[in-house]
Amino acid sequence: MSLLSRYAEDLFWLARYIERASNLARIVETQVAYDRGRDEDVSWAWLVALHSDQERFNKSYGDASFANVIRFYVADMENAGSVRFSLRAARENARALRAVIPTEMWNHLNEFYNRFLIVSDADLEPIRLWRTCAQIKDGCYAQIGVAESTLYRDEGWRFFRIGLMLERADQTSRLLDVKFAQLATGLQPADRAGDATFWSLVLRSAAAYQAFVRLERRGADPNRVARFLLINSSHPRSVAFSVMQIKMLLHELGSGYGLRQSRHAQEKIEALLEVLQVAAMEPDLVSKLHAINDSLQRSLIELTNELGLRFFGHPPPEAVEPSQLATGAQSQSQRQSST
Amino acid sequence: MTEPTASRPLADYDPAPFFCELTGRTGQDAADLAMIRKRLEGHDVATLMQRAREAENELFNLGITFTVYTDKDAIDRILPFDVIPRILTAAEWRQIESGVTQRVQALNLFLWDVYHDQKILKDGIVPRDLVLGNSNYRPEMEGLDPPCGTYIHINGTDIVRNRNGEFQVLEDNGRSPSGVSYVVENRHLMQRAFPDLMRGLKVQPVSNYGEQLVAKLREVAPAGVDDPSIVLLSPGVYNSAYFEHIFLAREMGVPLVEGRDLIVENDRVFMRTLAGLQPVHVIYRRINDDFLDPEAFNKKSMLGVAGLMRAARKGNLTLANAVGTGVADDKAVYAYVPDIIRYYLTEEPILKNVDTHICGTEVGLKYTLDHLAELVVKPVGESGGYGIVVGPKATQMEREACRRQIEADPANFISQPMIDLSVCPTLVDGKVEPRHVDLRPYAVTGRSTWVLPGGLTRVALKRGSLIVNSSQGGGTKDTWVLEGAQS
Repeated sequence: MSLLSRYAEDLFWLARYIERASNLARIVETQVAYDRGRDEDVSWAWLVALHSDQERFNKSYGDASFANVIRFYVADMENAGSVRFSLRAARENARALRAVIPTEMWNHLNEFYNRFLIVSDADLEPIRLWRTCAQIKDGCYAQIGVAESTLYRDEGWRFFRIGLMLERADQTSRLLDVKFAQLATGLQPADRAGDATFWSLVLRSAAAYQAFVRLERRGADPNRVARFLLINSSHPRSVAFSVMQIKMLLHELGSGYGLRQSRHAQEKIEALLEVLQVAAMEPDLVSKLHAINDSLQRSLIELTNELGLRFFGHPPPEAVEPSQLATGAQSQSQRQSST
Repeated sequence: MTEPTASRPLADYDPAPFFCELTGRTGQDAADLAMIRKRLEGHDVATLMQRAREAENELFNLGITFTVYTDKDAIDRILPFDVIPRILTAAEWRQIESGVTQRVQALNLFLWDVYHDQKILKDGIVPRDLVLGNSNYRPEMEGLDPPCGTYIHINGTDIVRNRNGEFQVLEDNGRSPSGVSYVVENRHLMQRAFPDLMRGLKVQPVSNYGEQLVAKLREVAPAGVDDPSIVLLSPGVYNSAYFEHIFLAREMGVPLVEGRDLIVENDRVFMRTLAGLQPVHVIYRRINDDFLDPEAFNKKSMLGVAGLMRAARKGNLTLANAVGTGVADDKAVYAYVPDIIRYYLTEEPILKNVDTHICGTEVGLKYTLDHLAELVVKPVGESGGYGIVVGPKATQMEREACRRQIEADPANFISQPMIDLSVCPTLVDGKVEPRHVDLRPYAVTGRSTWVLPGGLTRVALKRGSLIVNSSQGGGTKDTWVLEGAQS
């Protein structure tokens, strides 16, 4: 018997929300750990710009101070892009999946979420924030590990993995746009040394620093960093790696489970790979990053829509009605409008 | 060194004047109970408290909870759990098991009759109006033949025990009784928290409920379907019993679906899967009749699936429980259940009813109004312990308000003498004190009936309270059925 479409969709979003929370936590953790000594009051506006959240942020906070930005992205329940919101959404998806996922997966997420619920203001102070974010990140890693160790390998597993990889590709591509976001907020680094620091921070934010320096002994040259995060085929957080994984998973759904509708999504994957191939040949990659990321983001949204249409029983995009997943769809469309 | 006696759990325990589920037995039955009591005494109250706290934390983290939704958040609450188990001896269980089975059999025969020939009404055993005028009577069910003649597949019988230790049925629940997940989870919890208490005792297992249930549902598959596709239909995550729906679907190994996952085409039911529509033959539904099928019942229901009744009438779908069982577990029909048993089975009821006065009858109304101060008055249509007035505990004003309500709509009320429910030692505020309990055994019926050994023991945590419903401050206990001396 085939899997309920709703289960497939909930597994897809469960993974996406976990991955989203993990990425955000890691970005903040990295910034806090390595970005000391700068003027904290001005250096956090870029995070808002990166997520194209200026309008919503300004409405509730105004001043992009450290404390405000952290509250907005870590603890704000109203912010559909916050860690707390993502974890709650992950848990609500898991709740709807409890009959089908292993109890281990629910138990871990539930305990993790209940621990996070008691995060206090003090845990968001500069002195403790690093540890708070590290714990969230580790909780997310462990959640994915529990799935890896216990989740039955049927269609549902593939959708969980597709969600994970899609969100990862999205987040890594977005991270490469930090430079653009910083320029947009007037935070251009002053000198070349600062530039290198910046790119090594980008690597750390993608948990890719160690792999990169092992491979590239000449340091964090911007073009090489961008190339690594976009098209390296062995780093688990590179865009190309994630997209290739999705390609493989879609192929498994098509050939292993007879879900022939996966070919429509596979066509979107080919479009994504084409963008990456063009990027690979670009000599001055950094100067083209923003445009490349735009097309990546667009393709990822199209891929998500295709999955909704072909697998999850969604009506065609122009007739989308608000559903329980409105939150996910909403943050997707926000991204769409920002590109 | 001796510890102060006050820290021994049962040092100051005095259940009088009620029957105590731990200390009330005499003779042969008392031996096993004495051992359990001795083991309990081996712990001090502080240890019990500590383990109770750990157990409740575990319930919370495992998500064995009911969820209260507010605008902003989902708040998970646990059902309070008491760590001192309620024990039933082998002989007691034999009586309950056979009594429950008998009752369910009779109610299923009754339902077949009222939706077909209505002999029992023609013979004047049960008043015609009480059945046909009942809002739970569903004309849509007339002439429909559910497989095996089973209407009530899942039943919960609320049983209490009076001062003399006699069991009496207080209520039948033949619509969508809930709570069975707590029976199984409470046992798992006790086995982890108090392995020492159960050691060496032969306690009947409860963890095979899901297997038994799915086997019974297979028995009632539509004719000609050898390998039925079974699903559990839930109103969704916002339902307070959602945990139980998850639990049951998981234990049965069947998909947990919501209305939006199902569709009826050509009088057949399908679910939406990745590979397209796939057939569904049996639905264990946890949605009330009213909301089950907007085409047949409440037009505004967003939870149900249009066309389910059509599919059931065509014999393509078995609904468990069947639609229209509310006419058999109604509080007024309840008074006739002993007669219903005699009528269909020509047997005497194994479990007694509580004397019930039906205010819809002239005699019953007069008696009730004349004895308000001694009686418990219950609205017929309510459940969850709502609207109950306990005469001896009510104020004069409450009794007068009750009188006016009865006079305004007599048919909506019944009254019963106050039962001095049995008590069980219960850990409350750092002390072990007697608290009133009831028992809800669960029976599942396909071709035949199986009763889960034990059932849900609900305990009124408030001192002196007789109302055990969770919505009224009740908790639960693990219920042990001893296998008895066979060795």
